[in-house]
Amino acid sequence: MLYRLRVLRHDPTAALGFILVVVLAYMVVAPLVAVLSDAFRLQYGDQAHAGQQPGEWTGYYLWRVFRSQVSDLLFWEPLLNTLVISLGTVVFALVVGGGMAWMVTRTNVPGRTWLAGALVVPYMLPSWTFSLAWLTLFKNDRAGGQAGVLQAQGIATPDWLAYGPLPIVITLGLHYYPFVFLLVGNALRRIDAQLEDSARILGAPRRVVIRRIVAPLMLPALSSAVLLVVGRVLGTFGTPYVLGLPADYRVLSTGLYQSIRDRSTGVASVLTAVIVLIGVLIVLTDARLLREHRRFVTVGGKGAMDRLSDLRGWRWPAFALGGVVFVASVLVPILTLLLSSLTRTPMDLSTFTLSYWFAESLPGAVGFPHGVFRGAELWTAAWNSLRIVGIASLICAVAGLLIGYVVVRGSAPRVAAFLRQVSFLPYLIPGIAFAAASLSLFAVARGPVPALYGTTFLLILVMAVTHLPYSSRSGIAAMTQLGREPEEAAQIAGASWWQRMRRIVFPIQKGALVTGIVLPFISGLKELSIVIMLTTTGTELLTTLSIGLVDYGYTQLANAVVLVIALVSFTMTYLTQRLTKSSLASGLGG
Amino acid sequence: MPTIVLSGIAKRYGGGDHAVKNLDLVVPDGAFMCLLGPSGCGKTTTLRMIAGLEQPTTGSITVGDRVLDSVEKGLYVPPEKRGMGLVFQSYALWPHLSVRANVEFGLRMRKVPAPERRSRAEAALEMVHVSDAMDRYPSQLSGGQQQRVALARMLAVDPAVLLLDEPLSNLDARLRLEMRAELKRIHEESGATIVFVTHDQLEALTMATHVAVMNQGELQQLAPPMEMYARPANRFVAEFVGSPAMALVDVGPAPAGLGRSLLAHSRERHGAGGPAAFGIRPEALRLGTPPPGAWSEPATVEAVLPAGASWTVRLRVLDTELFAVTHSPVEAAPGDTVTCWTDQLHLFGADGLRIQDRDTAEARA
Repeated sequence: MLYRLRVLRHDPTAALGFILVVVLAYMVVAPLVAVLSDAFRLQYGDQAHAGQQPGEWTGYYLWRVFRSQVSDLLFWEPLLNTLVISLGTVVFALVVGGGMAWMVTRTNVPGRTWLAGALVVPYMLPSWTFSLAWLTLFKNDRAGGQAGVLQAQGIATPDWLAYGPLPIVITLGLHYYPFVFLLVGNALRRIDAQLEDSARILGAPRRVVIRRIVAPLMLPALSSAVLLVVGRVLGTFGTPYVLGLPADYRVLSTGLYQSIRDRSTGVASVLTAVIVLIGVLIVLTDARLLREHRRFVTVGGKGAMDRLSDLRGWRWPAFALGGVVFVASVLVPILTLLLSSLTRTPMDLSTFTLSYWFAESLPGAVGFPHGVFRGAELWTAAWNSLRIVGIASLICAVAGLLIGYVVVRGSAPRVAAFLRQVSFLPYLIPGIAFAAASLSLFAVARGPVPALYGTTFLLILVMAVTHLPYSSRSGIAAMTQLGREPEEAAQIAGASWWQRMRRIVFPIQKGALVTGIVLPFISGLKELSIVIMLTTTGTELLTTLSIGLVDYGYTQLANAVVLVIALVSFTMTYLTQRLTKSSLASGLGG
Repeated sequence: MPTIVLSGIAKRYGGGDHAVKNLDLVVPDGAFMCLLGPSGCGKTTTLRMIAGLEQPTTGSITVGDRVLDSVEKGLYVPPEKRGMGLVFQSYALWPHLSVRANVEFGLRMRKVPAPERRSRAEAALEMVHVSDAMDRYPSQLSGGQQQRVALARMLAVDPAVLLLDEPLSNLDARLRLEMRAELKRIHEESGATIVFVTHDQLEALTMATHVAVMNQGELQQLAPPMEMYARPANRFVAEFVGSPAMALVDVGPAPAGLGRSLLAHSRERHGAGGPAAFGIRPEALRLGTPPPGAWSEPATVEAVLPAGASWTVRLRVLDTELFAVTHSPVEAAPGDTVTCWTDQLHLFGADGLRIQDRDTAEARA
């Protein structure tokens, strides 16, 4: 016993493991417990409706969400809408992404390399960029603020075109088709052409080869892509908020947001639990399907990729089709936003003005009475974004490496298993639901922990935790690859734990550390769903600033801010890919 | 220079099987001790326990008069304070440091001033003949050079105890031969106590002053290499040491064939009773006219396999297959009948242990 203690005293790994377990339990598990308990305990203010005392166990919220006369409005309709939108987005993304993937990997379409890069760009833009561009084009006079371009030309746009499911599906589809494009493209690239050749030699016609050989081999990639898109759509907030709410078209994420804004904590907790449940089911289904399909993992041979379908006369039309997808998903939205931010009457070049960017004062805009580059708002928000996302990414990367260190070095298998699984847990949970869960834990003071709502600290924590799955995975991978021997060699050479960390482990993992910071940073900069419920006036980020401007109806200003975000995130993604030679596809976790 | 004493050492992982069972081992001062055994026999675990990288479940380890581990007394010295040198099987060179910085690291940790550090690192690299690679990085070196740098990194701090974990297993045959001579020289020059882990008996026999054979976490025999070869303490050691392996012939309850012939030979000389099994080394099985007192039987030649300096002959003796290795040309062809004989029989009791020699050639020697 004394001996064990002596050994432990000299080996901080055990202590570090213990600290990480406690922190993760508190940051990841506790919010989920808190939100569940909120869903079943009566909240203050609901005594009259439920006939119970606050804090008592209750099924009131379950009843209210699932069975009461408002449950259609609270839950069933948003659920149905979410399903419709998921389905629509999946179909859209499959058709566009799958078609483009086939064209780029398996045909002799001209400019394949360019298309392969260009068609991924939409994913580098914040997802609701498209919805703002859509509004700029198709908005009608149903909601306040400036009318859309068509409306301004005297063409009345019907509601179904301006708001609701159709535009949401199209804009989300334009953002998410790169998922399908990348996953399916990779799978197509890996299929060995010899497998197809063998079938053809045995007398199978082309159609049959596709149906009996290629399609089954593609199934894992397709199912993964579908589930990934559904999972993302489930948690997405910006687009349904911008395009759905003006027409009272609610989905689960915007419904959750409204319940929290209305301070109906109990209902929000039930909704959070439902979203978490669906998210977990999706990822588990994906894992299960992948496991089942593992038996058909194909080993790419030499024959892979050497055979392309000859499109003959259709080569250039096919290229044009790819070009159209690029124009529609990148150029049109960006140019729309840019032009609208430069004109008083949207897109009417005779009203060209730089005032939305630079004017010292903008008459009429009470909430934001100057160009975006003037005044403090943009700069404060940008600084907040950089600071908060930067610190969160740093924490994330270091925590990821430390988790990897304890998992690889530690002598307690149960600690390692706990760290591995719990750090991956946030991956299963749509960001907006996780933010809501954190809110129910941290909004009020609990024990020695003060109420954190509205603090930068809470934003940093939640952002770090939601990005932890990626960095802990890469941290574990990096540490496993390194093994324990380099550190043991230093130990034998007489280095203390700090010296080993400082001189050996972290320097060797410099590369892993940098990617561990940069990837969460890029994704955090465009993050809206997670932060929308946690920011307050003091902690405005670029993304929430732009949504705030949308709320005010300042189309040009909102567009200008989104453009800034899009530019920053695109540039950073592009540079990172160039510098680290990493590909977006590997970061998708598909 | 220190003597390493392991007493009552046992190691269990997570409540499972023992990796090492109740090991008592003394590595004499200045010895070159080889821990030899098949993979999973506990030899690397033993080495790592000496280094302090693993902790025994029971027992104690002392080096000289310093207690490094004592589970019973609750004493523990962490690896960084043991002042030993260890070369890993994978070398574990630090990829982000140059060869020079790798070698200087241990001296830096010991707060040796820069000029001395420099000269000692250079001397260590000189000793293993890689001075010209001083400013390169590990990834730019060949496997052999990396191995030498790992050795230099250990030698630079001039430790009294050197631990080597299969350091030669990743090298090609030629380099391995060269490094064996090198290690032997380093041992003689430094006078350090060396513990060397290997599963390659040739390595053990060529370099070591002492060989400890382990199997399933237990020490089988501790002896100087040639002694181990000449007088294996039990059936495991007999089969494990020597190549090709010693043939073991079980007598069984109803002796027949080769077993009966060997038993008859033994009883003829020593009276009733006799061992449970006989061992015959291929090198000790000869062809031709037997000298008086030797065991002999007619045999059918099944195959002759020349290998340059030696010939291996596969024989069938009383329906049992035996191999003979000889260093003179073999005239016989497959199908021929020859006489085979030996005067070096190893005897093992029913418990698997060696029965002490009474009259064999080795006993006379």
